[in-house]
Amino acid sequence: MSLGFILAQCLGALSQAAVLFFIACGLTLIFGIMRIINFAHGAIFMLGAYVGFTIVAVTGSFLLSLLLAPIVVGGLGMAFERVFLRHLYGRRDGGAYLLLTFGLAVVLSEVIRVIWGAQPRASGIPDFLRGIVVIVEQPFPLYRLFLIAAGLAAALAVWQFLERTRAGLLIRAVSQNAEMVHALGTDVALVRTAVFGLGCAMAALGGVLAAPLVTAFLGMGTTVVIDAFVIVIIGGMGSFLGSLIGSVLVGFVQVLGAYYFQDLALAFMYFLMLIVLVIRPGGLLGRED
Amino acid sequence: MSRNVSFALTVGICMLLPFMVPQYSLTVLIEALIFGLFAMSLDLLVGYCRLYSFGHAAAYGLGAYSAALILTRLLLPLPIGIVLAVLVTTLVAIPIAWICTRSTGVSFAMLTLAFAQLGYAMLFRFRDITGGSDGIVGIPRPPGPLGMTWFQGKTGYYYLVLGCLIGSYLLCRAIVRSPFGAVLAGIRENEAKTIALGYNTRAYKIATVVLAHGFGALAGALYAAFAGFASPELFFWLVSGRVLIMVVVGGAGTLIGPILGGVFFVFLEHELSEITDLWPLIFGSVFMTFVMFAPQGIWGILTRRSNPGAELPGAGNETSDAAA
Repeated sequence: MSLGFILAQCLGALSQAAVLFFIACGLTLIFGIMRIINFAHGAIFMLGAYVGFTIVAVTGSFLLSLLLAPIVVGGLGMAFERVFLRHLYGRRDGGAYLLLTFGLAVVLSEVIRVIWGAQPRASGIPDFLRGIVVIVEQPFPLYRLFLIAAGLAAALAVWQFLERTRAGLLIRAVSQNAEMVHALGTDVALVRTAVFGLGCAMAALGGVLAAPLVTAFLGMGTTVVIDAFVIVIIGGMGSFLGSLIGSVLVGFVQVLGAYYFQDLALAFMYFLMLIVLVIRPGGLLGRED
Repeated sequence: MSRNVSFALTVGICMLLPFMVPQYSLTVLIEALIFGLFAMSLDLLVGYCRLYSFGHAAAYGLGAYSAALILTRLLLPLPIGIVLAVLVTTLVAIPIAWICTRSTGVSFAMLTLAFAQLGYAMLFRFRDITGGSDGIVGIPRPPGPLGMTWFQGKTGYYYLVLGCLIGSYLLCRAIVRSPFGAVLAGIRENEAKTIALGYNTRAYKIATVVLAHGFGALAGALYAAFAGFASPELFFWLVSGRVLIMVVVGGAGTLIGPILGGVFFVFLEHELSEITDLWPLIFGSVFMTFVMFAPQGIWGILTRRSNPGAELPGAGNETSDAAA
């Protein structure tokens, strides 16, 4: 096994991790603020991929779809929070969120099927990202390198946003003690709507980025949402850094598992999660509650 | 009293149904009853402990696959095979329940989901036993014991399923009305207080998860022996999602509601999928509407209207909860 081969494997795993991070990060942000696990997050990721596909088909610009699809999907997410989720906040039974977003996942994937049809859609890798890079005598697709860069950039941007901006400060404050932030005169409801929208926009961005590799197909949402859950549970629900670590772990387990143990690839991810949960029920960086 | 009369009447009508409907409808009817039983088993968790399992397909799938293996490999009589399948699943469920009840709420939902998906993945790993994506086909319904053959035909099988459903319902009703069930209601309403009263709530939850798996496995085993095959789809999370929808729309915490939910879901699915391919959209929307506006479900609404002081522990409490 050459050095180049090992390197290529690792880069492949990292590019997988980058796509997963876009979904897991939004999921964990939303959970941190609202204590909601958004079951529809995979469907929203899928919606992002399809909307991106349509934007590319109409305008011919991949970069434009990277910009517009998250805005459209994020807006839809905010509308959903305002119209539906908001009415459940008073309910003592947290399971209602789980059920409602599960319903949304079912409805959304059906809506996608009605609008875009059941055939898988391939948007293709944009011309300027096509090509192969040779890393230590091992060919590696340029687009996957681009994914790693995009994932890193997104992680940095979200981290800086949370740590350095006033909006980020508010988000962290709400996740720690919403009543106190409310008492200090901040519109907590607005923060919740914004975070839900942001989480959805991140997932949509992930969808647009992943679409050229996997071709958008129905059911892409369901597989991906379970991966994202596993990541968020491994990392600790509500922890941003946890979602980053979880994405990388799961990315490696998926890519290496698929290469070396085809049959066990699926099971490995769940084993990893069960081991983490038995040792630390709250996840690696999660609060125990 | 009127409750017992209507119960007897319903059972009577169900007994007569095979003579009133055509043979092909009987197939749908049997599947509907099996799904009703499956939904009722999940209600023990959702309605009585407020443990939202997103992996109840594991119980169904385990029951179906153990029955399939026992019946095809050992050729034991059908009733014994089904009982064994339920026992096997119950045993497997004990460690699962032990791990899953370490957490509650969202984590519980995700853990159960992970176990079901793990089972799904294992089917492909142990291909030589489970048949991989092909599943196990040609499951027989061996006769016996004592030369019994009445359940081999479709009408006979209908009565077998009906008997299992009624028996399970009466058993579950006895459980939720017993002191054991009262502790479960305590866990649902206020777990901290129940612990303070000196109950080991974790043990109660483990027992309930195992019980729910047992009844779910009965449904799975009945399905496998009826359909004649067991496929990986039985383990898939869509099955868990569908059964959860049935429980919530039917009325969590009422036992009867989820049974009706399961039965009508299968019927509507059968009828509507012939007319329109939009039916998942319709079901998804109906489900969301119920979660938003009627969390007590159809049976919860009906019983509240007909007798205000509903004595079933679930119905009244669920509604007061929604108002809070």
